[in-house]
Amino acid sequence: MIEILKRLLRTPQGALGSLIILLTIILVVFGPWLAPHDPQAMSPLARYKGPSADFWLGTDQYGRDILSRLLMGGQATVVMAVAATVLGTLFGALVGTTSAFLGGRADEAIMRTVDAVMSIPSLLFALLIVNLLGSSTFNALMAVAIAFAPGMARITRSVALTVRKQDYVSAAVARGEPSRFIIVREMMPNVVAPVIVEMTIRISFAIMLFATLSFLGLGAQPPSTEWGLMISEARAYMHRSPWMLVWPGIAIATVAIGFNLLGDGLRDALNPRT
Amino acid sequence: MNNKANPPVLEVLDYSLDYRTHAGPFSALRHINLEIARGEVLGLVGESGSGKTSLAWSIMRYLPGNAWEKTGAIRLSGEELLQKSEREMRAIRGGRMSMVFQDPSTSLNPTLSLGRQLSEVLVHHRGLTKRQAWAEAEARLAQVGLKTPAQMMHRMPHEASGGEKQRVVIATAFACDPELIIFDEPTTALDVITARQILDLLSELQAETGVAALYISHDLALVSRVARRVSVIYRGEIMESRDVESVFRRPEKDYTRNLIAAVPNPARRLAGPAPENTGRPLVEADKVTVQYGRSSFIGSLLGRQQDQVLGNNAVSLSIAPGEILGVVGESGSGKSTLAKALTGLNPFSGEVRFDGRTIRSPRDMDKAYRRDVQMIFQHPDASLNPRHRIAEILSRPLDLYGLVSGAAARNEKIGDLLEEVRLPRDYADRFPHQLSGGEKQRVAIARAFASRPRLVICDEITSALDVSVQASVVELLLELQRQTDTAYLFITHDLNLVRQIAHRIAVMYRGDLIEVVAADEIGSPERADYTRRLIDAVPTPPAVEAGS
Repeated sequence: MIEILKRLLRTPQGALGSLIILLTIILVVFGPWLAPHDPQAMSPLARYKGPSADFWLGTDQYGRDILSRLLMGGQATVVMAVAATVLGTLFGALVGTTSAFLGGRADEAIMRTVDAVMSIPSLLFALLIVNLLGSSTFNALMAVAIAFAPGMARITRSVALTVRKQDYVSAAVARGEPSRFIIVREMMPNVVAPVIVEMTIRISFAIMLFATLSFLGLGAQPPSTEWGLMISEARAYMHRSPWMLVWPGIAIATVAIGFNLLGDGLRDALNPRT
Repeated sequence: MNNKANPPVLEVLDYSLDYRTHAGPFSALRHINLEIARGEVLGLVGESGSGKTSLAWSIMRYLPGNAWEKTGAIRLSGEELLQKSEREMRAIRGGRMSMVFQDPSTSLNPTLSLGRQLSEVLVHHRGLTKRQAWAEAEARLAQVGLKTPAQMMHRMPHEASGGEKQRVVIATAFACDPELIIFDEPTTALDVITARQILDLLSELQAETGVAALYISHDLALVSRVARRVSVIYRGEIMESRDVESVFRRPEKDYTRNLIAAVPNPARRLAGPAPENTGRPLVEADKVTVQYGRSSFIGSLLGRQQDQVLGNNAVSLSIAPGEILGVVGESGSGKSTLAKALTGLNPFSGEVRFDGRTIRSPRDMDKAYRRDVQMIFQHPDASLNPRHRIAEILSRPLDLYGLVSGAAARNEKIGDLLEEVRLPRDYADRFPHQLSGGEKQRVAIARAFASRPRLVICDEITSALDVSVQASVVELLLELQRQTDTAYLFITHDLNLVRQIAHRIAVMYRGDLIEVVAADEIGSPERADYTRRLIDAVPTPPAVEAGS
């Protein structure tokens, strides 16, 4: 574990990605205490302000402090994205590994179903689920998780297929181990490395997907401080105060880039041959 | 030897090579001295990690970026190679010296025809036109004993057999009449009989062209057949460098002596006497047939002919309790297929009778059968889950068959199992990658013996190991057999080894069982034609003088 961390920090992408993600985690956890203002406090006299000593990043259309809102919204945005990705990855990895283990007709049936689901663009698919279940934070999370599962299933299966051919799986079959044990204990730990890499990259997609859902009014609802929702609201006032749009945009981009870099770094760190 | 009239073709003087790694410099070669005269074959023998391949790449001047050459000189016909630029080397490589690799299927480009690959070398190094090169290449293919060179030129690598491909690689190496050829285990990936033919071809071509050759191998018996002089390399140092006969008869260093003692010699039996014939055999395979290839549902609807490969064709044999039955054959002869059928990894037709019970498909194999029949695989790296600690690996059979209850009893038993295969008890906390190859195979053996099985199937379990490690693993297996009276199905391609340890030997060829004979009768002239060819093809080590 420590060895992997060392290797991760040795690559520039890994070091930068880790730094950004570490900062993000600190801001997400302590954000509400760090916020200089009440994120919901309106001040009608200070609307559409640019950055100033009082309001570091300016104020929005109700005179609310943007910095405080961003710090508050970090929790909703980042935690949701990570939770949805982890959920989707776990489900996808289980489906992919099972499919690879079973092989033959069962594999065909599972993978063709996955293909069918994958052919629907993930945003459309998420929209469909949210429309069916109603727009709420939890439903948006489920929607993103389900939209991610097929892709993860496909990636996991390709890795699991090579693991399936390894002798330790044959040895377990010859020993008479139950299938559940072989999938969960023998195969899953050996497909984890590439899946984790893919997962970190997907977290940035999830952040954008959530932002898009909120932007379209199907995720978080006002007066929530979710970043995508902030951009959506700011759009109407773009010409009066571009700052309202720029700051949450930068926040989303930074976190997304951070996770991407971390994913790149992890890919090298988990594969000692490169 | 170093007279002015006939300077050595290759001269390596006091050559040392380090690799820079994260853990500090790793010394791969230390003060190597070698010379090969014109028309001479020098054998270079060493175990894995001894630096023999590093030396080959040093001579070819194709080292990885972290290589650091500390001292020494490498001279080709008196010219210093260390000072050549990459550009000059490109002209020398393939032209004045060339190399033949272990695996012909990876050393040929799969997307170019064989003729194109061979004639390209001639165009590049000898400046022939394409047409001339093509004709010359065809002549070269005829020279290496390919029967239909003209057709062979147009074939793609996957359309040729392993032996044919290696012949093409050899033709390419000889194409520009080089001064030096390096052979890096050129027969290891080939079948015994094909390997023998390739060896004969090499000796013939070498005598004909008078090229100097460095023959790298881990197999002492094989080197004694091609080379007159041999250098034994161990951990980057040349231990001794003399003619083959005297190295075998009077090894000077302890290392060489142990190495020679570890080479399987059919004259030296290791197994105890065959068990008394008690009547009922432990296992009987009755016309076991295995077919590979899945029948496609849509294909059968359309009435299309299904391509199925026969892995085993009605194989019938029996193993008595406590008997060691050796199974030999070339790769693809169905040895492993038989093992997989007996352990339920392959569906089969026919019958297996185990201790009176009849088994017709893998579904009939219940827990009791699986506990009684255990399998050990070829590569310990692949058969031990890299993410599990040794304790977990060994605890699986114990838990699965309900052999122990309680954590304390389990840990005690795991320690006992490790001691049984002569590993320290505290290895339980380690991961497989923290163990050496031989130690890993011992863990795999401990796992197989955990359930006190009555039949253990050993599928090429020593072929991934070095000779000296192989000897100790075999010794361990025989000792366990004496203690537990377990029967073995010992699958191997190493005839010398199987003649040392098996009571009876089954010979397989292309899915068919040719014959089953007692081990001491396998050399007799009444044997089947194929068996005799197999025996003839295997180099046996020269006799070691008594007392050494």
